[in-house]
Amino acid sequence: MKKLTRRTVIASATLVPVAAIRSAAQIPHFAILEAAADRILPPDDLGPGAKQAGAANYIATVVAADQPFLNNLSLIDDESQKRFHKSFVDLAPADQDSVLTHIESTARPFFARLRQLTLEGMFADPSYGGNRQFAGWDLIRYPGPRLAVSPEEQKLRDPIKPVRRSANNAH
Amino acid sequence: MPIKLKPVDVAIVGLGAAGGVAVLPLARAGLKIAAIEAGTWMNPHDFRPDELHNNVRGLLTSVPKANREVPTVRDAPGAPTRRGAIHPMMNAIGGTSIHYWAQSWRLNPWDFKTRTEVTKRYGAAAIPRGSTVEDWPISYDDLENYYDTIEHEVGVSGKAGNIQGRIDSAGNVYEAPRRREYPMPALRGSGFTDLMMDTAKQLGWKPFRPPAAINSKTCAYHGYCDRGGCHINAKNSTAVTTIPAALKTKNLTIFDLAHATRIESAPDGRASGVTYIRNGKEYFQPARAVLLASYTYENTRLLLLSKSKPYPRGLSNNHGQVGKHYFGHWQNGVTALFPFDINVWYGTPAQAAAIDDFADDNYDHTGLGFIGGTTLQPHTEMHPIASANMNTFGRAPSWGAKWKAFIHENAARHTSAYMQTSAFPYEQTFLDLDDEVRDPLGDPVCRVTSGPKENESRAVAYAQKKMEEWFRAAGAIEVIRPQANPPGVSTHAYGGTRMGDNPESNVVDRWGFAHECPNLAILGASVMGTSGARNPTLTAQALSWRTADRLIATWKSI
Ligand SMILES: Cc1cc2nc3c(=O)[nH]c(=O)nc-3n(C[C@H](O)[C@H](O)[C@H](O)COP(=O)(O)OP(=O)(O)OC[C@H]3O[C@@H](n4cnc5c(N)ncnc54)[C@H](O)[C@@H]3O)c2cc1C
Ligand code: SF4
Repeated sequence: MKKLTRRTVIASATLVPVAAIRSAAQIPHFAILEAAADRILPPDDLGPGAKQAGAANYIATVVAADQPFLNNLSLIDDESQKRFHKSFVDLAPADQDSVLTHIESTARPFFARLRQLTLEGMFADPSYGGNRQFAGWDLIRYPGPRLAVSPEEQKLRDPIKPVRRSANNAH
Repeated sequence: MPIKLKPVDVAIVGLGAAGGVAVLPLARAGLKIAAIEAGTWMNPHDFRPDELHNNVRGLLTSVPKANREVPTVRDAPGAPTRRGAIHPMMNAIGGTSIHYWAQSWRLNPWDFKTRTEVTKRYGAAAIPRGSTVEDWPISYDDLENYYDTIEHEVGVSGKAGNIQGRIDSAGNVYEAPRRREYPMPALRGSGFTDLMMDTAKQLGWKPFRPPAAINSKTCAYHGYCDRGGCHINAKNSTAVTTIPAALKTKNLTIFDLAHATRIESAPDGRASGVTYIRNGKEYFQPARAVLLASYTYENTRLLLLSKSKPYPRGLSNNHGQVGKHYFGHWQNGVTALFPFDINVWYGTPAQAAAIDDFADDNYDHTGLGFIGGTTLQPHTEMHPIASANMNTFGRAPSWGAKWKAFIHENAARHTSAYMQTSAFPYEQTFLDLDDEVRDPLGDPVCRVTSGPKENESRAVAYAQKKMEEWFRAAGAIEVIRPQANPPGVSTHAYGGTRMGDNPESNVVDRWGFAHECPNLAILGASVMGTSGARNPTLTAQALSWRTADRLIATWKSI
């Protein structure tokens, strides 16, 4: 390890915010990421899946510099080629699921992270690039961030009128 | 050579929950104080209802010094260490009182006299094997006045259950006598917490709404209290209460973004001041008295790092007690699923239904195989990512269409109760410096050695059954009681600089001053020898005020 003096470290240790990556689709294997997230949370009658909700855009901002994660995405494709001689994105949903089930059992930490990131992309504040049109919040019936909440909005059983705005727009 | 500053009366390291309280009586008494604080001022605009920012990434801290020195954890000497990425505590003026839950409990008399009381009621053999628990050198009565002071100076809402012996079942009937009512009424209930209160009564228990350092007249119950600061200053952190009041006296100077690295001592063994780094420069702040208030892990670390001629094993550690008698609170919830929307999205974790029926020694432990107990608290506040990540109770897979349908139906229907179980110090549980992991300055991080405990595991399991009974009686259709998990890096970390009359087994005396170093005082839960079944901060703050009073009273001879 490079030897650093106390002073140089302290001087350089200010927090630099990581700029959001705008062109998310430029990370390698973006299409695989998007397709895999869309099987974790698929589109159906209940609403959009992770792809339409833009979850992968969010995930790409997080993993852009995470080479092991990106390598693992290519594992998904390798497994599809092995089983079906096709790229993952071209598989039928049921076949995609069987590939992901295999990945889930053989690359557990990777799959757990992919799932967690899909959750974040789906249910985090939309200002991070996912949860488009509040699709995630609608799905789980989250009534949205409020700055003040009345007793009526804390009742048992009663549906709460959703607020659909980002917490970060004002900043 | 560090830049030498003009001497002050008192130098204090850390302006968090504990340090932020101590400066007020000192400043009022006219002492000149230099506060060295690693964080800086936060303002209401830093606080947003943003789960990813606050809870997932833990980014609220503006200067994440703590994240560069997260302690390592191992089960026993020689066992492998593990290390998390995020330090749970905050660097800011106000410290972790900015983003904590603000539950503000007094301990019970039993907590101060555990060894004596247990021995009397169950025999000496009932003390857990290997435990180094001692009676505190002070009693509840010695602290009552200071509890009262903090409740009024910081501002705590609640409902008294015992005013000078008059019991009121609207409050906590198990609490020890207090001199007067809380300065503000308890936080309001929600549909869910009211249901839990009613159910507890049907079970014959004594529910109450727990005390909180939250202004119940202005709180907006907005649902981003946990690890989020308050956008309307309703949460009574020290940053909006005691610190501004101390600044008004003009006797307090805050050096923010300042990282204390050593406490220096003179050849005669007295503390001489604090060395810190600020803006890339190293300073030495001489002081007549030094107060250390940098939270349990950093309190121990700074002492162990501060080696000198009189203290070759670290400041105030000639008896080898720094880092000893450490323990984390056991916090093991129970999760439940209801067949209807419980709508716990909003509120704050302090908006709870609490019971003390199974806390401390409030019930007969004969034949149970453990001492101590648990406070049970179903509460509000739930965020969307965490909620979607809910337990599926074996009813659905963890991804795919069936899972999606499951969370669609149930995300508004599940919750976990907050439960904290009294924990005790043990011979084999301690803090020291890590052999390998260092912070960016090259100083070793703190290392936690803390393994499984039979007493605490049994106590947790007992309380979890009670919590299941409570949830089921309220209509829950699924309940999960997770295996009791020993604490790692804890938000409720006790000991390491324990308070006691005997210098052979304690670092500070009954007033909070180091036995070995008379002008050094230590603030925070690191001086506490027991935890009780409640959160530590009000007690840590009451002790801080008391230590400050002592410093004022003995100033001439210090
Ligand atoms: C999410 C969460 C919820 C909680 N809820 C509750 C609750 O409801 N009730 C309760 O009683 N407790 C609660 N706690 C615990 C509570 O936050 C602590 O008990 C309390 O903050 C401890 O006070 P302290 O002053 O010792 O430490 P802190 O409040 O953490 O303050 C320590 C200060 O020292 C500074 N510092 C540290 N090292 C240095 C250094 N080397 N140089 C200069 N400055 C330094 C830090 O920046 C910080 O400002 C909670 C904690 C968390 C994380
Ligand atoms: S719940 Fe109340 S005290 Fe907590 S942050 Fe919101 S308004 Fe402030």
